[in-house]
Amino acid sequence: MKKTLLLALLMVWAMYGAMAQNKVTGVVRDTLNAPLPGVSIRIKGSAQGTTTDVNGQFTLTVDPNATLRFTYTGFVAQEVPLNGRTTLNVILQEDTNELNEVVVTALGIKKERKALGYSVTEVQGEGLTQARETNVMNSLAGKVAGLNITAGAGGPGASNNVLIRGVSTISSTANSQPLYVINGVPMENTRGAQPGGQWDNAPDLGDAVGNINPDDIESISVLKGAAASALYGYRAKAGVIMITTKSGKGNGIEFNSNFVGEQVMDLTDWQYVYGQGSNNIKPVSATAAGQSGGSSWGGLLDGSLVPQFDGVERPYSAVTDNLSKFYRTGNNWTNTVTLNRSFTGGAIRLSASNMDNLSVVPNSSLDRNTFNLAGTFDPINNLKIDARVNYIIEKARNRSMLSDGAGNANYQVMFLPTSLDVNTLKPGWNPDGSELAFNTGNSWATNPWFAAEKFVNDTDRERLISSITARYDFAGAYYIQGRVGRDHYNDTYTNVVPTGTAYRPNGSMSLTNTSFTDMNADVLLGGTFTASDFSFAPAIGAAYRNTHTIATTNNGNDFNVPFVYNIPNLRNKGFAYTDTQFEVQSLYGNVEVSYKDLIYLTGSIRSDWFSTLATPGVNNKLNTVYPGVNTSFVFSELWKPSFLDFGKLRLGYAEVGQATDPYQTQLAYSFLSGTIGGNALGSISNSTIPNASLVASSASEFEIGTELTLFNNLLSLDATWYNKISDGEIIPVTTSTTTGYTGAVLNSGSMRNRGFEALVTARIVRDGKFNWTTSLNGSVNSNVILEMAEGTDALPMGVSRTGVGFIQHLEGLPAFQILAYDYKYDENGNIQYLESGIPDRGELTPQGSAIPKWTAGWNNEFSYKKVNLSFLLEGKWGAKIYSGTDYYGYFNGLHKATLENREGNFAPAGSNTVTEASSYYSNLVQNVSSLNVESADFIKVRQIILGYTFGSLFDSKIKSVNISAVARNPFILMRKTDNIDPEGGYSSAIPGIELGGIPPVRSFGVNLNVKF
Amino acid sequence: MKKNIKSILMAGVSTLLMTTSCTKDFVEINTNPIAYSSNNFNPNFVLTTAQLTYAGSTDFAYDTWRANLIYSSTMIQGLAALSSYWAGDKYMLTPWYTSAYWERAYDEQIKRIVDVVESTRGKEEYNNVHQVARIWKALAFERITDLYGDVPYSEAGMGYYSSILYPKFDSQQFIYQDILKELDEAVVALDASGDALTGDLVYAGDINKWKRFGYTLMLRAAMRLTKVDETTARTYVEKALNNTFQGNDDNAKIIHDITGGRETQNRNSQTFLDGGQEHYYVRWSKTFIDFLKATNDPRLKVAVTNLYPTTSTVQNAAFVTNAAAQKGLPNGKDLSGVAGRDVSSDPDYTTIGDYSQPHPAMIERDAPTFVLTYAESELLLAEAALKWGIGGSAAEHYKNGVKASITYLSQWGSALTVSETEAEAFANAHPLVIASGPQQIAEQYWVQTCTSFNFYEAWSNWRRTGFPELTPVNYVNNATNGTIPRRFPYPTAEESTNPENYRAASAAVSGGDLLTGRVWWDAQ
Repeated sequence: MKKTLLLALLMVWAMYGAMAQNKVTGVVRDTLNAPLPGVSIRIKGSAQGTTTDVNGQFTLTVDPNATLRFTYTGFVAQEVPLNGRTTLNVILQEDTNELNEVVVTALGIKKERKALGYSVTEVQGEGLTQARETNVMNSLAGKVAGLNITAGAGGPGASNNVLIRGVSTISSTANSQPLYVINGVPMENTRGAQPGGQWDNAPDLGDAVGNINPDDIESISVLKGAAASALYGYRAKAGVIMITTKSGKGNGIEFNSNFVGEQVMDLTDWQYVYGQGSNNIKPVSATAAGQSGGSSWGGLLDGSLVPQFDGVERPYSAVTDNLSKFYRTGNNWTNTVTLNRSFTGGAIRLSASNMDNLSVVPNSSLDRNTFNLAGTFDPINNLKIDARVNYIIEKARNRSMLSDGAGNANYQVMFLPTSLDVNTLKPGWNPDGSELAFNTGNSWATNPWFAAEKFVNDTDRERLISSITARYDFAGAYYIQGRVGRDHYNDTYTNVVPTGTAYRPNGSMSLTNTSFTDMNADVLLGGTFTASDFSFAPAIGAAYRNTHTIATTNNGNDFNVPFVYNIPNLRNKGFAYTDTQFEVQSLYGNVEVSYKDLIYLTGSIRSDWFSTLATPGVNNKLNTVYPGVNTSFVFSELWKPSFLDFGKLRLGYAEVGQATDPYQTQLAYSFLSGTIGGNALGSISNSTIPNASLVASSASEFEIGTELTLFNNLLSLDATWYNKISDGEIIPVTTSTTTGYTGAVLNSGSMRNRGFEALVTARIVRDGKFNWTTSLNGSVNSNVILEMAEGTDALPMGVSRTGVGFIQHLEGLPAFQILAYDYKYDENGNIQYLESGIPDRGELTPQGSAIPKWTAGWNNEFSYKKVNLSFLLEGKWGAKIYSGTDYYGYFNGLHKATLENREGNFAPAGSNTVTEASSYYSNLVQNVSSLNVESADFIKVRQIILGYTFGSLFDSKIKSVNISAVARNPFILMRKTDNIDPEGGYSSAIPGIELGGIPPVRSFGVNLNVKF
Repeated sequence: MKKNIKSILMAGVSTLLMTTSCTKDFVEINTNPIAYSSNNFNPNFVLTTAQLTYAGSTDFAYDTWRANLIYSSTMIQGLAALSSYWAGDKYMLTPWYTSAYWERAYDEQIKRIVDVVESTRGKEEYNNVHQVARIWKALAFERITDLYGDVPYSEAGMGYYSSILYPKFDSQQFIYQDILKELDEAVVALDASGDALTGDLVYAGDINKWKRFGYTLMLRAAMRLTKVDETTARTYVEKALNNTFQGNDDNAKIIHDITGGRETQNRNSQTFLDGGQEHYYVRWSKTFIDFLKATNDPRLKVAVTNLYPTTSTVQNAAFVTNAAAQKGLPNGKDLSGVAGRDVSSDPDYTTIGDYSQPHPAMIERDAPTFVLTYAESELLLAEAALKWGIGGSAAEHYKNGVKASITYLSQWGSALTVSETEAEAFANAHPLVIASGPQQIAEQYWVQTCTSFNFYEAWSNWRRTGFPELTPVNYVNNATNGTIPRRFPYPTAEESTNPENYRAASAAVSGGDLLTGRVWWDAQ
């Protein structure tokens, strides 16, 4: 592919010849005197011209009496007659009409907003840096209509679930997330393995986009629909998020410091009437206390002295603040220095940033250092080189275990008996270093202090994202651009179950090293022709991608020397190695035709060839073609009543797709890691039944929308209706385990997302001193799975630890249905009971989707002189969540509902059996798990920023200072869940299941920004 | 301008040509570099793994822990447990434990053994591999159907070969008939001068031993049908006569290996050593110890006390082997502190450490897993002789069985060796009495399968014969109304992954798809 690029460049190069006349030099600036790079300069009446370099400078050989036309997207065009001058200083005025703003579209091409036949939302980088998130994508929550972001309960550095216009695929976890494109280079946002199975008990190991330093981001463009992202073909099915990072600009130093304190919100509302114990009896001995270590089925809390697990007698009274005693006040301190320097023919920007996050979970932290170097320069006229390097070192210490309780401090502290003080479990270990067990009836009930301090769940990532782009502009308004990007990281994940752990006394360890390399290269050749009022811009391109992942795991159990945690010290060792590679080659073309500023029509086509479809001996089709077309009709050019400033109608249709994973087309054998008596252990490596006739899936989407500006820019509206059908979904159909496989990969199934999204912005007060802008965005998305694979109507996605709450895709219903058992009814609708008096288990029924149908964000920005205030609210409605926390609240006698008939007998009158409350309630939620399915509706305050900006200080040695008080997620204004955060799911891949995560965290702090 | 358009086109065309010509590497790129295809992979490698996983899952003894120990061992009163999650001890239903065997067996055993059978079918160079795989497949399916009843059989494990995604459930009657037919064909087709088995964990490639194994398994499978189809049972027993195991040297067992960690270490041992305090809270059942003590049985060697006197996982070197000191833990006890239920309400209670446990040699990480033993074979022959008057003297087979059941203990380790003389003396002192023959035989079979930790088999034979006569426990909120469970319910996961077949099978279970339902051969 490198050859291809070189060849194309050379061929074009050979055709290029210079034509000489007079030499004119000059510089183009904006009204603030900042140089403007990339301004297009045309000799009027000719197709010849040039563009300014990174310092706004240009050189042109031209007739001395020619007139030059300067155009730059976002600025008013200007014509300058030379009149014999050989040097020029041109100032361009910014176009105040926001609809002329420039947005970054597919392949990194900047276009005027009015030309787009589809919906794009752009978010500026400054909105991401004051009130921060450790994963920058979480900052977009509530800001973009149709974008649904859920951060989950995994803590700092965890991955998130980003949905654009609903669930994008029926296929399980892979490729369900949007494509991220950084400066034109696609980036694979690989998430670490997600807990979602019943017995999963693992931390969230984060993702790739979360590493990006928000200080480096210039802007983020969200390409929502297929029409916008059609040129990304097979990568675009879940939408595309284009991130543009900052380039060198002017000279100066900028320093930003952000410090926030973090605190958990205790949303529990447990009963504090009865204490630890069982059978309504207070523990009578240390043994009894140890055996009931997880149970609040004891006697009435009467303050009497009662023996606890350690044999010490303490008052038998309510302990209501275990969460605030266990979780510490965390903090997050980020410091960033940015240096900018411009010189003749180029500019560089260097930033260095350190983020130091001390999590609310004791002994857990995230430390991230990022270095970003961006250089732009023009080695010769009309050739622009843009080279970027982003180096990231991230260390996460003790990522929290999620879901199940073993080694999971969150789980254990959540379900402590009502009369047990978490501080009495300190330090968490015995003098010999072994776990101080407080719940001897269950060795998996790890002491939370021991879990936090002694378990190890560390990740280390070293990552280099590099890219180089070369663009050559010909005099005749053609250009050729080549781009190569490489994203490489090495991850190390260390997991240690320490010596002395109750459930694994001799300990165990696993160490995984992953090397990930993603190469992307593309070449684009384009031009613009104008003929009277028509403009015609064709472009063709090709792209190549190779992704290679190698992972090595060493693991084992039983440390020879206790308390020393390294692989050679393990008595029993295991080993695993995987090597996964795939390649995609693509060709595409795009044509834009416009007539005046009235109508724009764009058509595109892309074909992708996939290595993942190749099968030995089978000559199957390896490519899929994705067409797209869209148009923008600026009707205000024809009809402009007094109230209308601007009006546009847009229409788009496109097909986009989704690739398949490698190695799914053939049966393969491999070896297990161990040997037995010297004999190798052969096995089949496929867990799903191979399919030699796979094809890539595709989705087609139609959208229609409008953009209006009314009443002299007082009000603007951007609204879209869309209808997207995904077909030939690559479904790992879950087969019966009796096939020997967990599933079969089939092209089957289809899904529809249909919805409406709108953004209304009102500039309510604009009097110069005081300004108030309010904007409301909202979306409604109706998702339905139209068809599943032949022979099945369900695709299981996840199972709660409780074993009675399920997440599945079901035919005829929205994706990610929560399934739970209902009551059992007779034909007259009466609830059926077992002999014990416990309600019988009825049908497993869908309870609703885990994905909200309605989302809304409301942002307000006020400014008065140098003071600015903003706040952002977000709400989501229509989703459900299965609460494992409430299940165990019933199970352990913590839930308030368990107070009813607490000391009574639930067996029917006349029965000779006795059913105690503990048996009744724990079986109730096991039999009727729909009781723990709750509405996940909420309204939250996402962020509040109050800032003050000082002008230049100390004789302009300091250009500006901004100091802000910031808050992230400070309040939950509305929720319907009993004891949990409605967004508290622990898996970013499988929404709707909740248990054992970190409670929601609020943060308050200050941000200081100084420019020198 | 024309020149430029031409150059653009040429660049475009050359790009296109170069791009499309690159796809010839795609097959190579899409071939997993660390995997093999059927062209270069020897099926013996997979047979080895299928043998190993019959001894239990490579994933931390997943099925052995739940099905063999938590349920079978306690229901059959070989072991007893105080841990609250040992649901079998108290006839509680924990669905994700009763489904464990199904989940692991089809994935880890059936997928592999079916692949060996299918990939060697009709290949002369792999004839013996093919026949041994057929025998092993019969063995694997016998246990699955014994635990659940009607199960996917003919279409199971065929996901790749027949693209069957939703296998039908075959009736247990059909499965047993086919197992017997398969065994009959395979033993005949085995050829001692044919291809060598490599990586055979059971007999190191000894084809004659494999023939005897095939016949002994045929004997066991045939005898399973005595309650429902005596004709078939007798037909196949007669085929097996004189072809079965000849001594303890023929015992089929898998010797585990410490070096491979969880993948290769003994599954029962992993549970005892690395489980959730099983080392402390799980003991020999009072029923089992009392039975041995009643006759001062030399097999009391399997029991020791105070190996784990406390919850510490460090073994006490001064554990007590004295037969008189042995004491079993009553089933159905807990640590609740509630009178009658709590272990301390056992009249014999002193400390938990004083209850007998398996000898440390039996929970070594490289201890063997016994698959099928000579003692079982002889006891079944005794039963056949008693029932039908075929195959020699019932009393002689019985004596051989009892004796072998004592002397085989040395295969656990030399610490459990009982001399030939002592075994002979015990067998002579406790001969078969015709009137109580069926009970005596079944009781000895129970002792044999308990001491060899093959609790699955102990449970099956009890269900078939009704012996030993066990007194059920009646724990609060048990799921069986105080009766010993007779099968495992079908895994509810099949309801969503194989709904039609599951629903039909579930509805057809005699007595309901419950712990109290019955499999076909367990007719009332």
